[in-house]
Amino acid sequence: MVYRVARVAFTFVMMNLAAVTGLFSLRRGHEVWK
Amino acid sequence: MELLFWTSAALIAYVYLGYPLLLAAWARVAPRPPKKYQFPAGHWPSLSIILAARNESARLPVRIANLLTLPYDGPRELIVVSDGSTDGTAAAVAPFASRNEIRFVEVPAGGKPLALNAGVAIATGNILVFADARQRFTGAALSALVSNFADPQVGAATGELILDCESGSSASSIGDGVGTYWKYEKWLRRNESLVRSTLGATGAIYALRRSLWRPLPAGTLLDDVLAPMRAVLDGWRVVFEDQAIAMDRTAPDAAAEARRKRRTLAGNYQILAQEPRLLLPIVNPVWLQYMSHKVGRLLVPWALLALLVSSVALTSDGWLYSVALTAQVGFYALAAFGAWLEARDRQTGERFATKLPVAILGAPQGAPAGAERGTGSPRATA
Repeated sequence: MVYRVARVAFTFVMMNLAAVTGLFSLRRGHEVWK
Repeated sequence: MELLFWTSAALIAYVYLGYPLLLAAWARVAPRPPKKYQFPAGHWPSLSIILAARNESARLPVRIANLLTLPYDGPRELIVVSDGSTDGTAAAVAPFASRNEIRFVEVPAGGKPLALNAGVAIATGNILVFADARQRFTGAALSALVSNFADPQVGAATGELILDCESGSSASSIGDGVGTYWKYEKWLRRNESLVRSTLGATGAIYALRRSLWRPLPAGTLLDDVLAPMRAVLDGWRVVFEDQAIAMDRTAPDAAAEARRKRRTLAGNYQILAQEPRLLLPIVNPVWLQYMSHKVGRLLVPWALLALLVSSVALTSDGWLYSVALTAQVGFYALAAFGAWLEARDRQTGERFATKLPVAILGAPQGAPAGAERGTGSPRATA
C-alpha cells in the first residue's frame, strides 16, 4: 500500500512540474512533445 | 503571508476535492444524459474517419484493418493522412488502395493539426471520427459514438481511452500513478458530460459533426480540446461515451509520461491564447467547469509552491502551520520515495517487492510487453 501511495504521490508531483515546464517550453517555442 | 497560505490551501483543496464533490452532487441532482438513439438500418449517418500519422508504417496495416472491420451499419470512408512520413507509409497503405472506402493523402511534414485539416478538407461524411495509429477500437466503438448525435444538442462525442495500467497489467514503471490519475480524470469527464459537456475530447477516439469543424491553426498542441471546445462555445455539447473504447498502453516510464504531460499542459496554456473566450463566464457555457478543472490545474503548481513557502515562513506563528509544513514535507518525501521506486523498477526490470516484470528502456525483442523506448504517442491527451 505504501509503495502504491508513493508512486501516486510521485505522479502527482511530476504532473505539477510538467505544468510549470510546459509553460516555459511553450514560451520558448520548444517542441514540447519531442 | 497568512493570506497566501490560506488562499493556496483553499485553491488546492477546491481543485482536487471541492470541485469533484460539487460535480458529483450536480450530476446527481441535475443529470442531462444525451438522448442517444440506435438508428434504423440504412439510416446511420455517414462517417469520415480521419487518421493522421507520421512514420507509422509498422502500425498502419493493423490499424486500418481495425477501423474498416468495426461493425457500423452506415456509409464510412477512411482518410489516411501521411504527415511527411519517410518510412514507407505509402507502401504500407498501398495494399488497401483497391478498397473504395479508403483515401490516402500525403502532405508535407507540418504537424498533426495541418494533417487533420488536409484530411477533413476532402471528407464527405456527416460525422468526422478521429483516430490515431497506435490504439485500437473495440467492437461497438463507432456505433456507440454516433448514437449520441441523435441528440440535436450534441456536437461532439468522446470515447473512453482505456490504458493497460488501469487493470494492473501494464509493464510500465509509472503504471500505478498514471492509472490512478486516469481513472480520476475519466470520472470527472463522465460527470462533466452528465451535467453539460466535457472540456475537450480524447484525441485517440472522438467524433465531431463535420459542419462544426474549423481548420486548426498550425502548431496547435491539443486539437482534441480546441475543436470540441469551439463547438461548446457555439452552444453545443460534447458528451462522454463509455461504450466507445480505445485500448492503449501506458507510457513506459516516468520520463515518457512527463514529456506527454508537458505537452498536454503546454497545450492548455496555448488554448487560452487561441480561445480567450473560454475565460469569460458570459460566453463560455461551461465556465465554472473549465476554470475548476483546466485553469485550476495550471494554477495548482504555483499554489503548492506558495503553500510551502508560506508554511515555512509561518511555522513559528502557530501549531497549525507547523503541522501543515510537516505534512507537506512528508508528502514530498513520499513522492521522492516513489521516484526512487520508479527508477529502481526501470533499472531492474522488476516491480519492487512484487517480482512483477516492468519494461526496461531499450530492451531487445522478447522483453516484457510495453518495452518501448519512450515513444508514448504525442497525440495522447488527458
